Amino acid sequence: MLYIILAIICGCITIISMIVNSHLAKKIGVLQGTLVNYVMGLLGTTILIVIVIVNNSVNISFGNYTTIPLWAFLGGLIGILVVSGSNIVIPKIPTIYTTLLIFIGQLSTGILIDYFRMGFISKGKIIGGSLILLGLIYNSNVDKKELII
Amino acid sequence: MYKASAVFIGILIAIMVTFNGILSSYTNQYVSILIIHIVGLIALIIVFMLKKEKFKIPKNIPFYFFSAGLIGVFIVFLNNLCFNSIGASLTLSLGIFGQLVLACFIDHYGLFGLKIYRFKKKKIIGFFIVFLGLVTMIIY
Repeated sequence: MLYIILAIICGCITIISMIVNSHLAKKIGVLQGTLVNYVMGLLGTTILIVIVIVNNSVNISFGNYTTIPLWAFLGGLIGILVVSGSNIVIPKIPTIYTTLLIFIGQLSTGILIDYFRMGFISKGKIIGGSLILLGLIYNSNVDKKELII
Repeated sequence: MYKASAVFIGILIAIMVTFNGILSSYTNQYVSILIIHIVGLIALIIVFMLKKEKFKIPKNIPFYFFSAGLIGVFIVFLNNLCFNSIGASLTLSLGIFGQLVLACFIDHYGLFGLKIYRFKKKKIIGFFIVFLGLVTMIIY
């Protein structure tokens, strides 16, 4: 239950960061805005780690990481692709479709990834996912009618 | 064409959350966020060098403009945490739900200096269907 709430909170703060980012990008440009983001993020992480080490609450070891597959390090790189891709694509499609289309990609890939990690696809995920899509499509239709009128 | 690209961005987001989550299961929450930011920063610096852009920030920008990066740390932190306990599809779906609800709230009151879009009662039906879908995903 805790993780369910945390995942919802994560979505809420994602929206806030997207709005702040778009303000920032308007002022100093997308690329510089992203750079500022990552520098601030790195700063924040460093402060977080220092606090954790000082408090000694978590044992942080910078041990042997050679067992980690190389691709697992590429998350940050993909993040840059997502940001720059969004900046090109999102202004060119109607806003009401943005969430819907991005979610279609997220959901289908998410279900596939869960399949590869756990070895099976639960029916609930597919039925639930389809219901979520249905709800999203319904709401974008409500918006669409408003725009035409 | 652009619509297909939007779907592709969604695919990339799912892959990103997975890679980051797996990295954090190999290391730990804090070190993984550090690595993610360093890798991203290196990639950005390479882009800057390729585009030969110069970095300069105009003065008198309100401080909260810089807070997005800090919020980003919490986003990655929470995503990694949730990915490793409830899986990719549920983490992403719940995140979308949170985004939808807060986006409606922000639009309705025109927060953050955005234009006001009043909430339409008809949308409650859509939200209910989305909610039903989430419950189905959680239960089964």
